[in-house]
Amino acid sequence: MKQNRKGNSLSRAFVALMGSEKRQSITIPLFAICLSLIAGAVLMMILGKDPIIGYKSLLQGCGLLMKKNYAGGKGLLTDFMSYLDIWTPMIFAALAVAVAYKAGLFNIGVSGQMLIGGFIASITVGYSDLPAVIAKPLVIVICMVIGALAGSFIGLLKYKFNINEVVSAIMLNYIFQYIISFFILTFFVNPITRQSNPVGENARLTLQNVQIAGMKTVIPLGFVLAIIAVVVMHYFINHTRIGFELKAVGANKKAATYAGVNANKNIMLAMAISGALAGLAGATYYLGYLSSIQPKVLASTGFDSIAVCLLGNSNPIGIVASSFLVTIISKGSMYMNSSVGLPQEIASLITGLMLLFAACGVYIRARPKRTKDRLDQQDRLEAAERKDSASEEGKEDDR
Amino acid sequence: MSDIIVNGMSFSLPLFIIAVGGIYSERSGVTNLALEGFLGAGAFFGAVFTALTAGMFAATSQLPMYLSMVVAMAGGALYAVIHAVLCIKFKANQVISGVVVNILAMALTDFLTSQINAGVLGQSSDKFVLNVSTRLTFQPLASLPVIGGFFTNVYPFEFIIIAVAVVAWYAMYKTRFGMRLRACGDNPYAVDAAGCNVARIQFIAVMVSGALSGLGGMCFAYSVFGNFSTSIYTGYGYLAIAAMIFGNWKIPATLGACLLFGFARAAGYSLIQYLGLPGAYSDLIMILPYVLTLLLLMFFSKNNRAPRALGEIYDKGKR
Amino acid sequence: MSEYIVEMRHVTKRFPGIVANDDVSLGIKKGEIFALLGENGAGKSTLMSILFGMYEPDEGEVYVRGKKVEHFSPNHATAMNIGMVHQHFKLVSNYTVTENIILGMEPQKRLGGFLPVVDIKNTNQKIADLSKKFRLEVEPTKKIEDLNVSMQQRVEILKMLYREAEILIFDEPTAVLTPQEIEFLLDIIREMRRNGKTIILITHKLEEIKQVADRCAILNRGKVVGICDVAETSTKKMAELMVGREVSFTQEKSPFRPGEVKLTVDHLVVKNADGFPVVNDVSFSVRGGEIFAIAGVAGNGQVEIADAVAGLTKVSSGTITLGGKEITDAAVRARNRQGLAYIPEDRQSWGLILDFTLSENLLLRRYDQEPYCVKGVLHREKFDEKSRQLIEQFDIRSGQGEKTVVRSMSGGNQQKAIVAREIDQDAPCIIFVQPTRGLDIGAIENIHRQILEERAKGKAILLVSLELDEIMSLADTIGVIYNGQLLKIAPADTMSTNEVGQYMMGVKE
Repeated sequence: MKQNRKGNSLSRAFVALMGSEKRQSITIPLFAICLSLIAGAVLMMILGKDPIIGYKSLLQGCGLLMKKNYAGGKGLLTDFMSYLDIWTPMIFAALAVAVAYKAGLFNIGVSGQMLIGGFIASITVGYSDLPAVIAKPLVIVICMVIGALAGSFIGLLKYKFNINEVVSAIMLNYIFQYIISFFILTFFVNPITRQSNPVGENARLTLQNVQIAGMKTVIPLGFVLAIIAVVVMHYFINHTRIGFELKAVGANKKAATYAGVNANKNIMLAMAISGALAGLAGATYYLGYLSSIQPKVLASTGFDSIAVCLLGNSNPIGIVASSFLVTIISKGSMYMNSSVGLPQEIASLITGLMLLFAACGVYIRARPKRTKDRLDQQDRLEAAERKDSASEEGKEDDR
Repeated sequence: MSDIIVNGMSFSLPLFIIAVGGIYSERSGVTNLALEGFLGAGAFFGAVFTALTAGMFAATSQLPMYLSMVVAMAGGALYAVIHAVLCIKFKANQVISGVVVNILAMALTDFLTSQINAGVLGQSSDKFVLNVSTRLTFQPLASLPVIGGFFTNVYPFEFIIIAVAVVAWYAMYKTRFGMRLRACGDNPYAVDAAGCNVARIQFIAVMVSGALSGLGGMCFAYSVFGNFSTSIYTGYGYLAIAAMIFGNWKIPATLGACLLFGFARAAGYSLIQYLGLPGAYSDLIMILPYVLTLLLLMFFSKNNRAPRALGEIYDKGKR
Repeated sequence: MSEYIVEMRHVTKRFPGIVANDDVSLGIKKGEIFALLGENGAGKSTLMSILFGMYEPDEGEVYVRGKKVEHFSPNHATAMNIGMVHQHFKLVSNYTVTENIILGMEPQKRLGGFLPVVDIKNTNQKIADLSKKFRLEVEPTKKIEDLNVSMQQRVEILKMLYREAEILIFDEPTAVLTPQEIEFLLDIIREMRRNGKTIILITHKLEEIKQVADRCAILNRGKVVGICDVAETSTKKMAELMVGREVSFTQEKSPFRPGEVKLTVDHLVVKNADGFPVVNDVSFSVRGGEIFAIAGVAGNGQVEIADAVAGLTKVSSGTITLGGKEITDAAVRARNRQGLAYIPEDRQSWGLILDFTLSENLLLRRYDQEPYCVKGVLHREKFDEKSRQLIEQFDIRSGQGEKTVVRSMSGGNQQKAIVAREIDQDAPCIIFVQPTRGLDIGAIENIHRQILEERAKGKAILLVSLELDEIMSLADTIGVIYNGQLLKIAPADTMSTNEVGQYMMGVKE
């Protein structure tokens, strides 16, 4: 009985910490993040390094903390701007996953949609002489349209032929990957880099070699767009009729139909929006952060974005926070490697663990409720017992 | 012609055994997108074993290869426990779990490969080099016209795979366990009502899936790559899933699908070589299996039936 | 050793909120057909689930063949030769009859002396013999997906017989069968008795009991209210016991003043996925101020009628007219806007989005209208304002008011939310399907009062219910459905409960 008591107080603390359903959307990802950061710290210690220095170097590599010294013409701003540059596509990609997820769909094809959008924009606008004011917006539009088409094709396959969106998205990923590789290697290859020819500066969404306060830096124009997209998507999902219908279809297709929502239309729409956002990720990745496409490689951004979306609870604001963190780990790992000597691979390992713990979320979510129910039941029984014994005592007094 | 058969078989069979792994998991009702991760993790364990025991065998000995396959199967099964626990114990979304397991496998093996190389073997490398597998040619069968290719330059693992596949087929269709396993994929509640432990059956099925994928991954490491590195994660797991769907979740039909994929690929490569086309054209060959699978799903989805309870989270309390 | 093969002594089983079995004692003799009679929710299934080991009783003891049962699990029950045919069959659809029957205890043979394989061939013969012995007419090599419901049920019976069950429990076995199939089943049951089996039949159909049962225990609200010899007891007497002498909730009902016709259903046919007409040539109309109730045994097509009117099921032929306009092919929302409110049967999978807030669920029908949505933008504060008003008006209790996630609310309050949402639309026609299913008495009375209030306001109300009690106390007009057809439509005061019950069983023409 005593043992039981002790277990109870632990369970009670657990319930108090994780129980509130409102807070769970924040506590569970935090739980996952903390666990994986601790795991990462343990790994660093095993490798004989100080985890605090290790994590600090991640921040330094992203321009969030001052490094000890900088090479000529470089500084905090240089690092920070290049951090923003790689953060941008991650935000778009995670938003793409989130929109589909809200409608009950799993878009694992973000990488493919990024690639096809980026490729088409590269060969059309990227290799053209259009003036920058036309070329840049055109890149954005083309990527969005191509991405939306690729996305809605998956939606079409789902509702017309009842093909699971995960299967068709994976198939399309490979089809895009190899076809584009063929075209690049056959028509657009740069013989030295073995990648596609770089796009012109006119079409590129990241301005290169800009001088600010004596420092050379990049300016990722796409980042502004990403922040706008976050705000728009947040508003769209939470405050518009279409967003409401999308969520309704995702949460309960039957009840949505009952409420008069056309579920098939919403599946197409969600995949189109998701694809368009993936296209934007492609634009800022292949024609922003990079300027060329490596054949036969899908951007890992598309897959990491799943982790970001899960951690961010598929909420646009949450995604800003989780993508901020995940990008720090991936981007900062390069500097961590060169300055502290920790292997770069540790970064993707930490991200992978975050994903693993986040995937346990359903279980963690259900657990406190079950524990709470058990405790409540126990309390009721005990209260009843007390009452019984009390009334019995009372009877004896009467006698 | 002979080349097409030689290359086709050496690609089809590892793919096939991975797909059989997928069938085991999915016929038991657990969606398995994690084949890619399983095969990578399995091959990693096998490769680590050969790397660590390299000094104990003669340089030309084939024994390490066979042992590494056993280790790869064990390693794949072990790694599959993650997917099994997430899906069966934690009742997580099986699709998400599969993707997570793949991403984690890539990160984990990448990290461990360089760490083991640096820490244990004292070299800076992101791969484990495997010794070369012998290839067997059976005379006089190899001299036969056309079918001679089946007896020329055969990897020994091809026989292992055929043997394992026969055992897998027998276990799935002829034994008690197999019968219960397939029943789980259709109606787990019926299996429960018959007094069997559904969770246990599914757990074993996912581990078998990991073991078979590990074997397939190790074979790919020996045949296609000649080493272990993260280049092993190039989509063969997903290709196996395509083959499994193409084969309608049945072992013999899936073998057909794998042979089709393998021979189409080998024939395509040969054709490109024969026509003297640049290497880029091989990429067009690579899309064939995926396009075929998509078309099949579009036009024959009526005949194509996934296990009825696939991906459903089995909750004993529910009806 | 007592004369009983099964004896239950003072068995009590509680579930949160209700006492399913209250101090139940009864004995079943070897070789008899023993019926458990009672209305939905009387505790029959729970009692037999205890015998089959699916639940453990909170109090009391169960004896089988004079021995006290210590372990409650289906496996232990099977070991004691007890078998149960559930209402929902547990069959593997892509397996043959034989494979389904042997699942879990597959006979093995050794191939070549050492390889174990499941022996299907010899078993096929064994099962064919067994099927013959009990006249089940089941082909062992057929696949389950190719069999109809009646056949599937016989496979379940064979499953028990193959496991050498001596005590066979049937849970509402005739609910899904046609009259001919019922005859066939009752013959099988008699055949089993002839072979010395003990049979327990859970049902609420008096007619069947009269036909086959030897003795019968009547349950009402978890208590045994009588155990009688079927041959010596009249159907009327049993019906009285089943319903309970005092009808528990009589509602103040205003006099019936029908207005003009609001909803007309004309020659409606609805087919299921297999092309079988589940609603077959049904015609009726509902007037303002009238409660038109469809009575019938579950699965006779009543829910499909309601779904067809609401637009959730495709109509094969016939027309539906609402307020003078044909709506047979109209979209769900169009029907709703034209004045049709619908309280669906399955509130959790159709009526509510459980992960949405109460406020969002209360506005599920109106979220796209002003002032809740202006130019595609939702106005949450209007949602909440409206919700607070409905919560107040309909007394919906929840943890955090309109912000509560509906999943965390009790079943009664979830139902209140749906009723509030639908009634508040002030639609001239309201459909209620099983509005009180699974609710406690207080909640039931509340819903009944609201249905009557709407009637008093001149609404046309279509009520579908499996509870005869509910229908008798609310309806102005009763239509009895049997096997997809309305057998009888008559004013409620011209029919007695017994008469309605007989139509429900398809007895009276």
